[in-house]
Amino acid sequence: MDTPVKAAAVVLDSVSKSYGSVEILKNVSVSIAPGEVVTLLGPSGAGKSTLLRCINHLETISAGRIYVHGQLIGYREVGDTLHEMSDKEISAQRRSIGMVFQSFNLFRHMTVLDNVMSGPVHVLRMSKPQAEALARELLAKVGLPDKANRYPSELSGGQQQRVAIARALALSPSVMLLDEPTSALDPELSQEVILTIRNLAEQGYTMLIATHEMAIAKEFADRVIFMVQGEVVEDVPARSFFSAPRHERSRQFVARHAG
Amino acid sequence: MAEPRSVRVKHRWRWGAWLLSAIVLLAVFMLISAGVRAKIMNVEVFLSYLTSEQVLIGARNALILGTLALVVASVIGLVVALMRVSGNPILAALSATYVYFFRGTPMLIQLLFWFNALPTMFQRVYLAVPFTDVVVVDAPTTAVVTPFVAALAGLALAEGAYMAEIIRAGILAVDKGQRAAARAIGMTEYQVLRHIVIPQAGRIIIPAGGNQYIMLLKSTSLASAIGFLELLRITTDIYSSNFMVVELLAVAAFWYLVMTAFATAVQTALEKTFPQR
Repeated sequence: MDTPVKAAAVVLDSVSKSYGSVEILKNVSVSIAPGEVVTLLGPSGAGKSTLLRCINHLETISAGRIYVHGQLIGYREVGDTLHEMSDKEISAQRRSIGMVFQSFNLFRHMTVLDNVMSGPVHVLRMSKPQAEALARELLAKVGLPDKANRYPSELSGGQQQRVAIARALALSPSVMLLDEPTSALDPELSQEVILTIRNLAEQGYTMLIATHEMAIAKEFADRVIFMVQGEVVEDVPARSFFSAPRHERSRQFVARHAG
Repeated sequence: MAEPRSVRVKHRWRWGAWLLSAIVLLAVFMLISAGVRAKIMNVEVFLSYLTSEQVLIGARNALILGTLALVVASVIGLVVALMRVSGNPILAALSATYVYFFRGTPMLIQLLFWFNALPTMFQRVYLAVPFTDVVVVDAPTTAVVTPFVAALAGLALAEGAYMAEIIRAGILAVDKGQRAAARAIGMTEYQVLRHIVIPQAGRIIIPAGGNQYIMLLKSTSLASAIGFLELLRITTDIYSSNFMVVELLAVAAFWYLVMTAFATAVQTALEKTFPQR
């Protein structure tokens, strides 16, 4: 397992997660190569969001190991025990993992510019002028150079999500986790966010996207991981998932979303 | 096409509200005229004491005491609120107990308690820097716990319990997603608190905080019971020698109204500086 862990961008090795007696993730093992774009599909409650939140340790896990670029996330292995890391160590690990949320979660008391600058300034200790230049460059990249001085509440949902993507990119992450990035948006606004994500895919970002948006899965994802009730049912190239789903549940899912 | 026929629109006459206004105005007029007819107040005496030196000193002392008590109470409140939401059962229980005791007993009892009990419990106050010869304080407690110190401690500790609950409500009102996003960009728990939670909670609690400031400015009058020379104490001292009770109470009331106007202005300015986003 040693060599693949080192070479892969993200590895989940037999990860389980439960709240009390409810199992959210059941023995999930997944490996994602650098530059790969993977969509997590599955009905609501399948554990897609929880899986993403475990990768940057926003959620703890009950068993298994998670590696990002060879680094064990959230825990230190001593003998046969995993010890949870300190707050400082965990926050340092999160710098290289970008995350985008369903409800955008822009800091609502800050301007768009301050939102994008917050990571570089507070976390990377970059100088303010340098961080501002970077933030403006990223806002241009997501197509919002003129919104720098606006507050999140003054923006449409699609614009907010593009700012949230810029905020995540500001830390130059090696992996991007997107948790249903278009689920809170109407089809038209979804389209502009999908376009932004597609640009990232073309630039070679490693991305793991939980979504209900079939366009993402069909048009530019390399792979589909299909989950049901905390288990990975299918982990296949995107094309074959839609043309020849292997399992009964995937067949039903594809048939319903064929459109 | 025919010229549209112009129609007059007549809305309902809300006569109930107008009737009530008339009744209230009449009652207020009767109350004032009764006061004027009975000559309850000599206006010249009122005006002469309004800006007398002693009264101004009393008003200043009340303003200083109330403002300092709010600052100290806010610090206590923040610490106690953070203990309560920390997730540690002992810290949360200590915090809840503090709030119960200090919110559950009258402020007046607390003031009298600190003023009388502290010097009995501790005869001397001795504070020195460890491993050096530097002594910061070494005095009998009665000399340290002046009426001002006892009043400040009493008001701040009692108000701290209210501020703790207000600040806790503010912290709980900050969306969980804000914290998750801050952690996700690599902020430490302290940075999340400093840059995200406290600024947002702070904005939420400004109206309630302004309310507490006004309450506290008026509660400084309780310090008259332990001999602190604030506004009420000074005016009662004056009227106990000249018997101009109503005039001097009116003088005190006037300055409390001025202080309340000041507190309201501070609150409004803060709300404008940090608009709700």
